[in-house]
Amino acid sequence: MSSNLSAITGVGSVSPYGPLAGLIPPCRLEPESITAWPTAGLRRAFLVKPFRPASVVPGLKTRRLDRLAAWALVASSLAIQDAGIDLSQVDRSRVAVVFGTGFGCAELTEAFFQSAAASGWRGTDPSPFPEGLANAPASHVALWHGLRGPNITVGSTGFAGETALIQAASLLRHGQADLAIVLAGDTLTRSVYEWYEAAGLLSPGCYNSEPLPQGGGFVPSEGVAALVLEPAGRREARTYAQFSSGRWAAGGRAADAIRQLLGGSAPTLTICAGNGAPCASSSVTVLAREIGGPSAAIVPAQAVAAGLTDAGGLLHLILALSSRPRKGPALLLGTSGDGGFAAVLLELP
Amino acid sequence: MIFGRLAPVTDLRMTDLRMNDPRKTIVVTGVGVVSPYGIGLECLQVGLLAGRCCLVPTKDMYPGFEGTTAQVCGLPHQANGASSRYSRSDRLAMVAARDAVANLDCESDTFRESGAGVFMASTVAGLSEIDPGIAEDPAAWYRNDGLARAATYPPAHVADAVGVDLGVCGPRCAISAACASSAMAIALAANMLLDGAATMMLAGGSDALCPFTLSGFSSLQALDPDPCRPFDQNRKGLNLGEGAAVLVLETLAGAAERHADVLAVLRGWAMTNDAFHTTAPQQQGNGLADCMRVAMEMAEVSGDEIGYVNAHGTGTPLNDIAETSAYETAFRGRNRPVPVSSTKSYFGHCLGAAGALEAAITITAIRCGALLPTLRLTDPIESSGVDWLRGEVRRESLPLAMSVSAGFGGSNTALIFGSGNNLS
Repeated sequence: MSSNLSAITGVGSVSPYGPLAGLIPPCRLEPESITAWPTAGLRRAFLVKPFRPASVVPGLKTRRLDRLAAWALVASSLAIQDAGIDLSQVDRSRVAVVFGTGFGCAELTEAFFQSAAASGWRGTDPSPFPEGLANAPASHVALWHGLRGPNITVGSTGFAGETALIQAASLLRHGQADLAIVLAGDTLTRSVYEWYEAAGLLSPGCYNSEPLPQGGGFVPSEGVAALVLEPAGRREARTYAQFSSGRWAAGGRAADAIRQLLGGSAPTLTICAGNGAPCASSSVTVLAREIGGPSAAIVPAQAVAAGLTDAGGLLHLILALSSRPRKGPALLLGTSGDGGFAAVLLELP
Repeated sequence: MIFGRLAPVTDLRMTDLRMNDPRKTIVVTGVGVVSPYGIGLECLQVGLLAGRCCLVPTKDMYPGFEGTTAQVCGLPHQANGASSRYSRSDRLAMVAARDAVANLDCESDTFRESGAGVFMASTVAGLSEIDPGIAEDPAAWYRNDGLARAATYPPAHVADAVGVDLGVCGPRCAISAACASSAMAIALAANMLLDGAATMMLAGGSDALCPFTLSGFSSLQALDPDPCRPFDQNRKGLNLGEGAAVLVLETLAGAAERHADVLAVLRGWAMTNDAFHTTAPQQQGNGLADCMRVAMEMAEVSGDEIGYVNAHGTGTPLNDIAETSAYETAFRGRNRPVPVSSTKSYFGHCLGAAGALEAAITITAIRCGALLPTLRLTDPIESSGVDWLRGEVRRESLPLAMSVSAGFGGSNTALIFGSGNNLS
């Protein structure tokens, strides 16, 4: 067993592609009309189609949970299933959960504000309050699977998913966990969507049914992606990728720092985990070209994952792995748009 | 196997740095605090040692709310135009961070290019700036001056506010683990230093009082209408407070290179989860006991060596009984009961900031050789394993002390601090 390398051995997701264990089959998605709240005309987004979590994970009870927590439960279960891990055979006090999110449980936070609007601050409904905390999804993952290791929720402008992955690898490296469930995601709610709209960040594709134009705003998305990260070398494990190292910073000389991370070699592939508007001139694509040169193989940011903004990194990774890339060193690259970057160096088998 | 095990350093004056790996030893070289006592560690220390309670009726600050809270007064005003860009949690954090780095030349290129990272915890973040109007018609609320205020909502905004204010651009993120958040931020920041991902980490937490949390905890019937009584048989619940604390963490090697004063050594840390219930702690406190045990393993110390525990001690019926059980389990076999107190009895529960504030208090206890009592503890929970600190401040040398945090969702964190040099 390699002591310092960790491997991604299972993936699961709840996304506009549906709840899926393993890779995501190729499929072109178009944004859907929003019907969950009243809109002034057509408003579109990449939405998770409603499904009953218990139909995917038998016995799951999610009625009082924020959708983000429900999806985290489903995605984590699918990733563990995909990894072929029997948790009853694992020391669950050594299993960590690391969850990356931009907004946390926005749906139940809104519900709490709604109860305050309806009944005043002294008449609020108690149930959404603890379930609206940002760490509720990670807590429910621990509770459902009986995982008693570190339970961490992180937020990071531009790359919460990559940050979660780097933190999880750090826990494994320091012997603070033997296995980690890494998740990242967000839900789309009315207040989030209308904030994007008021801030002028949305693509024209949100307002009409034409094919999505390049650039000029983004189409919001929602979902949760999950990975199983464990020390490399478990005999029966399928390895999607090995985690070699990772670095993130809020600024500085990104290209220099990433070249240092690469140790003089060039990645076979750079996966652009852009957030917001995916386009050829986005900051992440520019940085990828700067590092890899004009002939570098680049997986461009995918609109469905980019719409998850801060929390899209892991879905970008799963989508890139789903395209069956050739073996070699790969770089998962995210940027925050204001000089920040996250770079995860992976080895694809 | 614990790969991050730290070298056993308690007094750096007695330490041969060649024997311990200074790159693996994490030290605290700055502490910044904003508390209901005011700005700075010194006024916190003076207030605590004087036994001064900051809790006052909530209605004095938030008309319509009952109960008891502690508020930070005298937060510096912001420059024109900046007020809507930052939430109160942001502002508390920025002031605490500035206080933490007061001994550094923050305007220098050396500091700004140092690769210093910022890990900040918050459970409230920008919720203090949002009102129920957002739920009725978000678009209208944004048009009416809400857009910038809502932009402070993501928990990452607090870390960004601190990082931008100080001009540092190392790794930056928010940590959310409810009331264990900022203790966890300190633990994870220490991991970052061991990874070599940053030369210096500013780690802590910040949370503002606001109607959202007052209403939420009130709806859960978790608030004591009077000043709280942690670990008392007659405890009725918690009081909310607000504040922020930021620790400057470095490796011993980094601190030695720039001849920094070392305030304390972070000897060990651990994080666990109860995996029991979303709001209630596991009644035997097993998860918390495991957390303390793992932290002591990492620090390579026995329970006998821990001279004081700054407890989570919220004052709620369920927390305090579970926590007492956890101490009995974690310190079983100790030759005398472990001294424990809850300093939430002084200025309430500061939620996401609590762990960092209590880490600062634990460092203060070590530096002053002062074991702080729990206020209003007249009829403590019966326990043969716990020495409940009450009444007067107990004066004794304190080489090692532990700070314990727990939160909704079952998260637990334990931090063990040891004395450093330059203490007085």
